[in-house]
This record gives sequence, structure tokens and C-alpha cells, in this order.
Amino acid sequence: MEQFIELLTQIDKFELIRVIFWGLAGAVSFYFSIGNARIWTSISIGFFLIFLGQAYAINPWVHYYKLSAFHNIVGTVAIVVITHGFLEYYVFCRTFEISGKKVAVYFFSLLILASGGIFLFINPTPSPNTIRNFKIVENSIWVFLSIMNLELIRKIYTAIKDSPISRAFIAFGIVFFLIFLWRGSELYLQIFQWDRDWQDIIAVSSDEVSDIDKFAGRVNFAMLVNKYAGFLSSLSVGGTFIYLYRLLR
Amino acid sequence: MFLLPKGNPLFENLAVGMLKLPGVISKLSTGSFTGYASFVFQASTVILVFKAGKLVSVMFEEKNGNRQTGFEALSALSYQMVGASSGFLNVYKLSKDLTMCIHALLQGEILYKAQELKLIDIKALLEKIGSDRMNGCLRIYTDDRSAMIFYKDGAPLGFFHDGSQDIETTSNESQKIAGLPGAKIDLFSTQGVEHLMELDLLEVVNVQNIWETAVAHQQSEFNKINKAREERQKENFAGKLAVLEEQVKTIVVETVGKVGCGIVDKELTDQGGNACLLDETNVVKFLAGIERSAKLLISATSLKVMMELLSKAITGAKSEH
Repeated sequence: MEQFIELLTQIDKFELIRVIFWGLAGAVSFYFSIGNARIWTSISIGFFLIFLGQAYAINPWVHYYKLSAFHNIVGTVAIVVITHGFLEYYVFCRTFEISGKKVAVYFFSLLILASGGIFLFINPTPSPNTIRNFKIVENSIWVFLSIMNLELIRKIYTAIKDSPISRAFIAFGIVFFLIFLWRGSELYLQIFQWDRDWQDIIAVSSDEVSDIDKFAGRVNFAMLVNKYAGFLSSLSVGGTFIYLYRLLR
Repeated sequence: MFLLPKGNPLFENLAVGMLKLPGVISKLSTGSFTGYASFVFQASTVILVFKAGKLVSVMFEEKNGNRQTGFEALSALSYQMVGASSGFLNVYKLSKDLTMCIHALLQGEILYKAQELKLIDIKALLEKIGSDRMNGCLRIYTDDRSAMIFYKDGAPLGFFHDGSQDIETTSNESQKIAGLPGAKIDLFSTQGVEHLMELDLLEVVNVQNIWETAVAHQQSEFNKINKAREERQKENFAGKLAVLEEQVKTIVVETVGKVGCGIVDKELTDQGGNACLLDETNVVKFLAGIERSAKLLISATSLKVMMELLSKAITGAKSEH
């Protein structure tokens, strides 16, 4: 507990607030998944998993690299599950077919997470560079699937635009736009090796010199976008689920 | 149809609906019956004259005066009996001679038809009947009254007039009618009783076949009518279902949006078409499907209202059906 409190005092306040908001969004979406139709389960479970993915910031054992990498796997699974949910909703809008069971969504989500855990367990402890690679893969998938989800949401909205729930999909559109900015800006920094992880790596274990100072303006802008878009996306997810809950009440 | 003397009634007012013509004829034939059987329907009368169990003449007469005899008359009688919901049978036993006269009246040779009495020397005619030893029937009538005189070998057997039940021995009524203005006569003659014995329609006509043909025809007509009725009912049912389907779509679309139309179509297809709306089991599945889909698009409150409206519309249509 003391270790946890010490961690909280060390953590960036803004990052802490972001994690707390992701926590709230995760709680709302998880609660939403319990009392609602099966198709919402994947979407809400996915958003809940984002919180688990982001919770590394407050995890007192995150210095264990395997655990840190596991947060990235959880984050990756989160966007995959969300995308699966929106894809199912889109299929429903086109065919009006609803299949499967809620419990299967919970089970397969857990199964994928367990597989990720086993993958980490049977492999060597990841180095800081490997952890950074995990983050790059996670961000790449997030960026790609965010664009895909924006397109799915547009199509779903077109199909149901005169339905009461259609406005919630506009909200989801805003959510994914913010997520795209959040993850995209981080990926941008990682691709050009301007991210903090890389700076830390080269500071201690490489002779490589960073060109970050030459592009301080765009680096600062990307970091600013990453900071606020990440925060706003957590806010928007929580708000969207509360709005959705009210629409479906 | 003119009235005939009743003689000795064997059966009266027997409901025709329960009878089969072959059975009736067979009974009268095997019983060596002499007399006539009259089948009285709403629009026609049929007379079957028997002499010692032999069917000597058949007359089918419609209210409009159309007449048929022999095979055609038996066939028409069969169709009438098979299709009749009302009608009754009378059977009267008569003497051989009177039966002969009835036969003459129905199917005898027509010597005079609608002849005005004032243009005829009635005395001379009566003398001729006597001198020619004529067998037959002289019918004297006006527009509203009639009388008949039956002759055997030129001698009057008896007198019969409208309003009487049986043969009379006096000619008073006949004379009265003959004295009325506009009185006319018909004279029918036939050969003697011996000749009648040579006649038997049952030898040349297969009553059973005639009856079976009529029954088959009636059955086919009945089937046609039933089929037409069923088709009308089907069309009617399909029309009602189409109206109900539209009602259901309107309710769902108004609550869920245009996408509701697709939801209804999909659920109807899954349940085998719009007939499921009036089926106890399938309508439950249909409503469950609609509810499950609508749950993804509208609030629980709107869903409840919509489901109530749907149930009401379907229940209303069911009660009309």
C-alpha cells in the first residue's frame, strides 16, 4: 500500500487524472455491458479493457517488464474487441441478425488475455526496447482500427440515422477521432524516435544521438495533442456511455 | 302443375333430402305398386306413374311450364333430389284404370290442346269419345279453375276438379267450369291397360347410374363452390394479413426509425411469412425477435410502449379474424 501511495506521489497529476477518468469510463461501460443487449457487450468490454491497459500508470508492480508488456497486450485486445463489437453492430444494421451469447464475449476476451499472458510467460523478460516495440505495435493497431471504426460508425449512423440511438454514434465518432489523435500522436513520436521511452533508452544504453531538438516544435505539439486527446477521449468515452445509458433507459 | 286425384295415400310429405331415388323406385317397383309418386320441390314437380311395379311414365314440370319426360325427367329429378334442401314426396295408390288415365294426362297423345270450348261441339266430342271407346282424360279449364274427366273404353271413370281430394262420381263441377266464359279443353288419349303393361322405363333406364351421375355432379359442384369459397377466404385472409403487416411496420418504423421496416421483414421471413402474425406460437417468436432488435435502437420505455401497441394491433386483428 505504501508502495502504491509512493507511486501516486511520483506520477504526473495529469496522467493520474486521465487514468481516473478511464477508470470511470471503464466502470460505466462495464456496468452498461451487464444490463444490455449482447451486441453492446463487446463494445463496452473493450472500453473497460482500455482502462486496464491504461492502469499501468498506477500499477505499483509495473517495473516488472512482463507486467508492463501485459498492459500493452490488454490495450491491444481492447481495441480489437471494440472493433469486433462495432462490426457486429454494423452487421446487425445490414442484416438484422443477432447471434451469440454474452458469456462467449466475456470468455473469449479472457481467453485472449490469458493467451497474451502465456505468451509473455514462456518468452524471455522483455527489455525496455522490447516494451517500446510492444507499445508501437499497440499504437499501430489502435490507429488503424480507430480509422476502421470511424468508417463503421459512419455506416452505422447512415443506416439508423432516424433512430433515437443514432446520436450516440455521433458521440462514438467523436470518441474515435480523439483516440486517433491520442494514439496517432504517440505513434508519430515513436516512429521518429522522439518518444520519452526512446530518449530514456538512448540516454543509458546507446551511442545514438537523437534529433529531437531539431524538431522541438512538432514534438511539443504532438506531445500536447497526445496529452489532451488522451484525456478528452477518456472523458468522451465516459460521457458517451452515460448518454447511451440515458438513451436506452 | 295441375292437381291429380290422391287415391289411397301411402306416404305424404316425406322429406326428399333423406331419400335416394334408386331406393324409392326400387321399393315401389318391387312392391308391384300401382299409382303415382309426386316429388314436390319449390320450383318444380315430378310425377312418376307406376303400373304393377312398372314405371310407365315420368313427367318433370317446372313452375314456368317447361316439361321433360322419360330419361331427361329422371335425370332432372335426380339433380333436384341431390341438390334440394327442401321438397317432399307423396305416394298415392290408384286403380289400374285411373293410373292409365293419369298416364294419358301426362304422356298420352294430345288430341286437343287449349281448344276453346265455345268453338267445339262438345256433345259430338263426348259422343266420339264414347264411340271410339277412347281411354284418356278430358281436361276442362279456365284461367283459375279446372276439372278432369277420366275415360275408359269411352265411358267416364270419374270426375276430378281442383279443390277436391279424390275422384267424384258426379259431373256437376265439370259442367260448371264448361259453362264459364273462356273455358278451354285438352284431350289426351292413351292405349288400354294392356298396352301400359308393355311399358317399363326401368328396363331401358339405369336409375342407379343416373343417380350416381347426379351425385357426382353435385359433389363436383360442391367441391367447386368450396374451392372458390376457400380461395375467397384465402384472398380475404391474405388481404387482412397484408393490412396487419403494414400496421406492424408503421408502429415499428414510427418508434425505431426506417430501419424498423427491415427488422419486421427479417422477423417475418424467419417465422415463415406474415401468416405468423395470427399464429399463437409464431407470433410470440416474432414479437420476441422484434423486441430483441429494437432493444439495440430505442429506450426501454419506448420499447415497452411499442410492444404494447404491437400486441394490441395483433390481438385486434385476431379477434376480427
